[in-house]
Amino acid sequence: MDPDARCLRVAIVQGELLNPGGRVDALTVLEEEIWGAIQLPADDYPDDVAEPLLDQVAEQAEEFARHGYRLVLIGDRAGLTEALARHGVPEPPSIDPAGEDELRAFLAEVG
Amino acid sequence: MPGVAFVAHCLLNQNSKTEGGARCPGVYSPLVEEIRARGWRLEQMPCPELAFTGLNRFWAVKEQLDTAAYRRHCRRLAAAVAGAVAVHVARGDDVIIVGIEGSPSMGVHVTSSDPHLRGRPTWTDDASELSPGSGIFMEELVERERLAALMEGG
Repeated sequence: MDPDARCLRVAIVQGELLNPGGRVDALTVLEEEIWGAIQLPADDYPDDVAEPLLDQVAEQAEEFARHGYRLVLIGDRAGLTEALARHGVPEPPSIDPAGEDELRAFLAEVG
Repeated sequence: MPGVAFVAHCLLNQNSKTEGGARCPGVYSPLVEEIRARGWRLEQMPCPELAFTGLNRFWAVKEQLDTAAYRRHCRRLAAAVAGAVAVHVARGDDVIIVGIEGSPSMGVHVTSSDPHLRGRPTWTDDASELSPGSGIFMEELVERERLAALMEGG
């Protein structure tokens, strides 16, 4: 079997921060700091579209949390707190970064 | 004008792979960077295997996952993804789906198949399980009535 390359660190990330035009280029920072990402549904999705996607995010976060992976939240999304609570996932350390340097420092501190 | 790329979960999070299956620690940069460099917006699809068989799962071929319960699970996820695709199609965005060739769930044109694999897990490096066809999630996604109608209309 190949050696296990997984970094065991997962960031739940506001959708817009992983795409061009976001106030922070979170994807580049996550690549540099070696974290995986779970993307939250876009802020402008209607509730009936976002809710099942949020449910999936919480279900997957629960699996990572249960196995001791480091979880953090970057940015936010309406409905996430409730979805995490439904799946029994404690709210992870979070940041709403104003820039890449602030995000880098946060990840270094929690990681 | 670039549109929206719905990508397999593991392209942004290799932690979702089976032990020994990750190609890198976190984000699988080569493909993600290519998509971003072309100006496409990223939307991550859920990993069907992660939520169903968990982080400690073994590697598997399509026949091992293809149960009624797993199909129901994939249909639930496909419905969620199809809803998001519909939002973008309604806006006039181009949409592409980026799966993982060779995956029993996320393969688009190539999946993995071996009807004889069973029992105690064994896997050799020269296993020839790659087969033409789609993975289970991809089959359920394209079967979604709403998505099928959108693609025909597009």
